[in-house]
Amino acid sequence: MLSVHQDVLQIIQAKFSSFEIVKSVHLNVSILGEYWSEQHHILAVVAYHSNSALFLFSSKKPKPFHLSDLIIEAVIPIDENFECLSDPIPGEHNYLLFVVRYRKVSFEFRIKIGPESSNFASEIVKSKERFLSEESDKRWLLKYTDLYNSLENTELKSQLDDIPFIRQKMAQNQNSINRDSMLKYQLKLKEPEFTQYQEFTLFIGTWNVNGQLPSISLKPWLSSDDDPPDLYAVGFQEIDLSKEAFLFNDTPREAEWEKMVLDGVHPKAKYRTVALTRLVGIQLIVLINTKHYQYIRNIAVDTVGTGLLGKMGNKGGVAIRLELHNTSLCFVNSHLAAHVEEFERRNQDYKDINARINFRKYPTAIKDHDQVYWLGDLNYRITELTTSQVKTLLIRNEMAALLRADQLNQQKERGNVLLDYNEADITFPPTYKYDLNSDTFDTSEKARPPAWTDRILFRGKGIYQLAYRSHMELRISDHKPVSAIFKSEISVINQAKYRKVHEELLKRMDKLENEFLPQVTVDQTEVKFDLVKFREPQFRDIIIANTGQVPAEFEFIKKLDEQSYCKDWLRITPYCGTVNPGEKCDVRLEVNLESDLTELDDILVLHLNGGKDMFIIVSGKGQKSSFTTSMSALCRAPMPIMNLSEIQWKKIVALEGEVLYSIPRELWLLVDHLYKYGLAVRDLFESNSTQESFVKIRDWLDFGSTEPLPGSVETIAETLLIFLSYTKEPVIPFHLHDVAIAASSNYQSCKNIINQKLPDIHRNVFLYICMFLQELLRHSNENGYDAKTLASLFGEILLRDPIRNSKPQASRENLVSFIIF
Amino acid sequence: MANRSGAAQRPNGTQGKICQFKLVLLGESAVGKSSLVLRFVKGQFHEYQESTIGAAFLTQTVCLDDTTVKFEIWDTAGQERYHSLAPMYYRGAQAAIVVYDITNQDTFGRAKTWVKELQRQASPTIVIALAGNKQDLANKRMVEFEEAQTYADENGLLFMETSAKTALNVNDIFLAIAKKLPKYDQNQGQSGQGQGRRLAEGDQGAKTPGNCCK
Ligand SMILES: Nc1nc2c(ncn2[C@@H]2O[C@H](COP(=O)(O)OP(=O)(O)OP(=O)(O)O)[C@@H](O)[C@H]2O)c(=O)[nH]1
Ligand SMILES: [Mg+2]
Repeated sequence: MLSVHQDVLQIIQAKFSSFEIVKSVHLNVSILGEYWSEQHHILAVVAYHSNSALFLFSSKKPKPFHLSDLIIEAVIPIDENFECLSDPIPGEHNYLLFVVRYRKVSFEFRIKIGPESSNFASEIVKSKERFLSEESDKRWLLKYTDLYNSLENTELKSQLDDIPFIRQKMAQNQNSINRDSMLKYQLKLKEPEFTQYQEFTLFIGTWNVNGQLPSISLKPWLSSDDDPPDLYAVGFQEIDLSKEAFLFNDTPREAEWEKMVLDGVHPKAKYRTVALTRLVGIQLIVLINTKHYQYIRNIAVDTVGTGLLGKMGNKGGVAIRLELHNTSLCFVNSHLAAHVEEFERRNQDYKDINARINFRKYPTAIKDHDQVYWLGDLNYRITELTTSQVKTLLIRNEMAALLRADQLNQQKERGNVLLDYNEADITFPPTYKYDLNSDTFDTSEKARPPAWTDRILFRGKGIYQLAYRSHMELRISDHKPVSAIFKSEISVINQAKYRKVHEELLKRMDKLENEFLPQVTVDQTEVKFDLVKFREPQFRDIIIANTGQVPAEFEFIKKLDEQSYCKDWLRITPYCGTVNPGEKCDVRLEVNLESDLTELDDILVLHLNGGKDMFIIVSGKGQKSSFTTSMSALCRAPMPIMNLSEIQWKKIVALEGEVLYSIPRELWLLVDHLYKYGLAVRDLFESNSTQESFVKIRDWLDFGSTEPLPGSVETIAETLLIFLSYTKEPVIPFHLHDVAIAASSNYQSCKNIINQKLPDIHRNVFLYICMFLQELLRHSNENGYDAKTLASLFGEILLRDPIRNSKPQASRENLVSFIIF
Repeated sequence: MANRSGAAQRPNGTQGKICQFKLVLLGESAVGKSSLVLRFVKGQFHEYQESTIGAAFLTQTVCLDDTTVKFEIWDTAGQERYHSLAPMYYRGAQAAIVVYDITNQDTFGRAKTWVKELQRQASPTIVIALAGNKQDLANKRMVEFEEAQTYADENGLLFMETSAKTALNVNDIFLAIAKKLPKYDQNQGQSGQGQGRRLAEGDQGAKTPGNCCK
């Protein structure tokens, strides 16, 4: 069912590169709205790695034959802005309104309900699903951007209710995985109903420790506030400036600084490390108040070096991401390129860190997090002012002038770095560069101008900054530590509400699922046949009507431990098929009795793919006939079998009573007729007699009559063949079948079998038939039969298989031909 | 604003598992099998419920504390002439509700033979519940509660008297079955057959720290 329109798929694929894979297509899409005139449209889902897009083509023909028939009309990325839903079209049961929204643009397609639409919809769902779990990248669509842009600028309103999603797909395959992704999607939509915001206090700190040993308490920095924060993110730079640290990225300082942090946190709460990451000297630790620990999940870290050769770890960034309750947080500690004039390098480092940090877990990139806290020694300096000017302005507390000269502020304003990040007003003195163990700005020869190298910025909703300060008391480094306190809104799941929403959704999906189960009715669940007679087929039609909302695939299925879905006297056409909603399908049940069954009974199981089963009882009575009665019984019947009383019948069938004839009366009547009228008839056995004429002869034999035998000689000849073919035991009984075949090459053994093994009546019949055949051969000139033809014709019948298939023809022929000659 | 990781995180402790089970209803005709299903799935009751000729199929989900159980319900035909087809439906079923009508002693006898047949022919781990339906007609009662309870206890069956008409115990009996069904992977060894198909709900791939620091 997957490959709807494989051929078209291939033609469309030719429009794309080998990395862009056409996943699914939908033909015969009509567009509602004013964009395109009535022409042929095709939709296709195209995937490029984990990204996908929906392409709309116009086609010269309903079904394109070549890629030149196709023009791309629209490209809609399947990403977080992509939404689709479906709606019934009033009065049009077989069609569905398929609505695709992308930002403010909306398309409405009219598509036919069926496997095609269902497959297509589920492919879109899968694509969207794939996107949700992977990184978004729209670059591959750049080739088509002019189209894509033109769409983004368009204003198009459309009224839509909030039936989210494609109901159609539920109907087709009862696939729980689909149901699952549907549930996820809907839960996502309903998130506001079961989440609420709760404020968390976040302490973010950054300090360039200048390679100094961790020798002093960090309390004045980490616990200077009255209340303990819920979370700490503490970043260091230059914890180890040794070659070893640089070359092997290994340093004892890591654990030492971690311990200092753990010792320095607020005494009024208990904390534990959530994650720690380090690249050479750049270290980041996230701690959480232990009471919140269980609400953290999906922790991931990554580091990016942007130092020497653009790769080494002397500069760069480290990041930790996590989810706290239902909000994703990302903390980045970066140490960007040094030197006053290198602000562009710093901008580049920032971009590199953004581009290269990859958490290998969704969301993979920094920007995709609900909240991002960016801290570190960003190394931006104060330009255009001399050291003494800076100092003077500081003394005069003319912060505004200083901040205007701050490179970070300048670059940020120009959009070159930390574009949509916020930073609180700086009210503390520059944090660099101080003489060690002092609060005095650099007095060395270089006398670098002071700068706010150490910064904390943030991005995201619901973040309120309470403090932004430096901590002068920590004097071991040439930088001062900086800290910021945030009150941040974290989305917390309300368990009770979540359950309620979850349960409601499940209920709704159950309802939809049940509603979209295939439903059909059959007009009769009991089919009774009239008296069924030998080789006189009867049929009854049942009507399967689709009363449901989706196409119903039906099939008559086998009962446990049965070979076939119905008994061998029954034929069902068609035995499987598809009925569209509102439509009907006739199914013909045909009986053809070729055995001595008197009670015909079967229960048919009509199964709907993905839905219920229905039972249909088939019954009828079979009428006895000389054709299906054993020859031994027939030889005991004093009159045509239909004239026998029930008791007489039972007796002869049980082979009780006297044998009255040496061969069955019926056989004699047929052969005798042919002796009289048929010997010289050309192609005697080639008759194409009608059902009707056979039935007349059958009844003449079974009921007896004073009329002459009806029908042409050819019909009677055919009837003879039928008679011999259906006798309850073949002339050569089943148990002698193999012996007879084995003996077939030897005249003497054949003769022995005939003379010694065959029951009397069977031997009589066999010899009687052979005599008749010899007689026929005497008239070869007139009737055109030679020995071989007759032997092969009768061999097959006299020596028939228990199961009607053919053993080597030659052996049967031999047995008969030996006898004839 | 919440993260965009697709599924909302489940509250702590919610494992977000969906287990799918096949459940079959058996019992003599007119005891109320279809009515029980209709009540459970759609919350409805029909005074003139048509006799089932076939096996009706519906699904319904119930939420337990830590799991979601999805039942695939097969409501079979109770008429005796369809008896031979019943194995098609109870074979592979993880749960069965055998229904009788408390106002009709014969239906209780028939229920017992169904239980025997299930014990012999169905999966050995099948969870069987006995439902004495039409409890609203207790004034015409022909099967004593205690008698059925004793029988159920002896055979390890869940037992409740139900009424599709008043909804008494209808959800409860399905819920009780859901609770009794094995849902954990660690059971798989002993009772692989009875195991519901387990489906992941959401990508809970990463270990949460909550789990390791209990
Ligand atoms: N008073 C009462 N009547 C009920 C109850 N349950 C079912 N009935 C009635 O009993 C009759 C038979 O109910 P069904 O649900 O069709 O019985 P069933 O077991 O499905 O029967 P089959 O499909 O033939 O096997 C209907 O007329 C119902 O209205 C009940 O709890 N109380
Ligand atoms: Mg029923």
